Amino acid sequence: MKINIGYLYGDYMNIYGDTGNIIALTKRAEWRGIEVVVKNITIGSKMAQNVDIFFFGGGQDQSQTMVAEDLQKSGKGKVIKQEVERGVPLLSICGGYQLLGEYYKPHKGPKLAGVGLFPAYTVAGDKRMIGNIVISSEFIVYSKKTTNYELPTTNYLVGFENHSGKTYLRKTAHPLGKVVKGFGNNGEDKLEGCIYKNAIGCYMHGSLLPKNPKLADWLLKKALEVKYGKDIVLKNLDDSLENQAHSRAIQLFS
Amino acid sequence: MQTALAILTGRLISAATKALKLGGGSAAPGLYALKIDPNLVSKLSSKIKTNIVITGTNGKTTTSRMIAHFAKVSNLKVIRNHTGSNLERGIASTLVQNLRLHPWGVKLNYDLGIWELDEAAFNSIAPKLSPKIIVFLNVFRDQLDRYGEVDTVVKRWCETLKSIDPKTIVLVNGDDANTLKLKSCFKGKVETFGVENYKLVGESIEKYKSKQRIDYEAKNVNLNGLNGSQFKLTINNQPITINLPLPGIYHIYDAMAALSVSHFLDFSIKNAIQSFKNFVPAFGRVEQIKIEGKDSFIFLIKNPAGATQVFETISPQLKKDDRILLALNDNLADGTDVSWIWDANFEKLRNLPRAESMDFNVISSGVRAYDLGVRLKYAGFEPNTITINGDLKKAFREATDGLKGRLFILPTYTALLQLQELLTDSGAKGHYWEE
Repeated sequence: MKINIGYLYGDYMNIYGDTGNIIALTKRAEWRGIEVVVKNITIGSKMAQNVDIFFFGGGQDQSQTMVAEDLQKSGKGKVIKQEVERGVPLLSICGGYQLLGEYYKPHKGPKLAGVGLFPAYTVAGDKRMIGNIVISSEFIVYSKKTTNYELPTTNYLVGFENHSGKTYLRKTAHPLGKVVKGFGNNGEDKLEGCIYKNAIGCYMHGSLLPKNPKLADWLLKKALEVKYGKDIVLKNLDDSLENQAHSRAIQLFS
Repeated sequence: MQTALAILTGRLISAATKALKLGGGSAAPGLYALKIDPNLVSKLSSKIKTNIVITGTNGKTTTSRMIAHFAKVSNLKVIRNHTGSNLERGIASTLVQNLRLHPWGVKLNYDLGIWELDEAAFNSIAPKLSPKIIVFLNVFRDQLDRYGEVDTVVKRWCETLKSIDPKTIVLVNGDDANTLKLKSCFKGKVETFGVENYKLVGESIEKYKSKQRIDYEAKNVNLNGLNGSQFKLTINNQPITINLPLPGIYHIYDAMAALSVSHFLDFSIKNAIQSFKNFVPAFGRVEQIKIEGKDSFIFLIKNPAGATQVFETISPQLKKDDRILLALNDNLADGTDVSWIWDANFEKLRNLPRAESMDFNVISSGVRAYDLGVRLKYAGFEPNTITINGDLKKAFREATDGLKGRLFILPTYTALLQLQELLTDSGAKGHYWEE
């Protein structure tokens, strides 16, 4: 089996160690004998064909404006939205998450149009929300179908956030989880991130996937299921190290 | 009056911290002195004959030490800020602690002030020092929770340069696309230093053939593993051979920065180069020490670029029986966001000459030992070769127990401080706060 990861604007939006998510997905697939190809999709390049997972990281303000423009002008935003509609999984962090929402409203000036994938919008804030974050995620389900060894029963996700943008979810939107410790989307409603179909957006760096291997595997599983049109059971990996890191982070930060 | 009070307060606090053995105590005196007289730094630094400023993400301390070393060889009296205190309060502390109080005023009897400034603090402090020379070493992603934005650092430097006296000499790294941008920001003279056939690419230093002219360029580079390197520099049409006792190409950049500064300070370049023989690197930067009679190395790692360049330097030299002890803390001085380890190319640490045949032992320690362990696993280290022990003392003991080869210690800043204590207690090295 083979997976194509579409790395969106990796040359512009990769400021907070988010490449770690690409590394985690790649290694976890390769350790199961699944071939991985990472395709860079950026300003000036055509939208890649056959992307099985999209990844979109965080960036600097200047880059974010340029990328927002390209998403509209080149039509890449439309394609991403279409793919997500048919079930292709996507992970977006911070800036990427914001750009996939409805819009971003800076302090001064007009709204920056987003891709409209997540039913959410972001407003520039004054306070920097920074620190380790722990959330309880209702969607992470320990299912006997996918694993057969002892997993921590916690459904927590751990990471590090650093943003001043405040994201608000529409009433119809599904959050990624509830904040146990930290700020989350806006520091007000105790929600963090957003899920739409198999697309996830959140503010969690860390990088996110290495210490949350269940989430990484969920993305891989969904990618393969959409691609090969059948139920997929991923071979178990020994995640004792990742799980220890996960527990230790919860111990330290919540 | 205000100034006098500020100075007295600073001196009192300095004396107190020394008496109470609070250690280092580098920033407290300045912090309080500045509260009383916010213009303290300009007033005091103007009493020093010449001031120079060094800034950038990596290499400030090494470059400053090199210049100080050359200056001492020329019998000049040097004043520098030490122990990583490169914010305004650190500078103020240094000035307050080193001046002479006379009934008729204050004297700072120094020929040269060498000031290392943090990338962000540069903008508010550099103008106050009225430097003769400013060096921009490089810009890399550093402590993400403090700066996060490389473009913003460069933009702010650019703005600051617009208001700096055009008579100031500005030296920039010509192999770093970021610092090179500064050429267009300054009305005065901007010259470049660099290394032939190399360029800064992302976090690494890579081979690259450029047609761009560099004013002070290291040529014919010969790397001698962990022993250092040899290269040629042409100054005043005279080519000179330099033997640098510090390993890694990143140190050649520091040396080129230091030598180009020396040229503008009218130091004898020949004498400066000769003095490299007895140049001792700073705290944690390529410290070579003996542990249980075995050669060990300490390489401080702070950010993706620095760490990657250390890995690139040591991995080709690793032999069977060598061990690596890594320690990752997330205190303020280390950077509280450890995501940076995913931008550091740990995969290069596994780029061993005979990777397949080597059973490599890595010990991961520090507050975030587990995060580091996960990074190592994803970098290709077999989990059974990774030992995790958050207790630095125990980890250090494991690393040295039955050690047959060399030990390479790669800590972040506060882990290095803890390590220094451990080493001192075990008698391996002297206790000092010198940076």
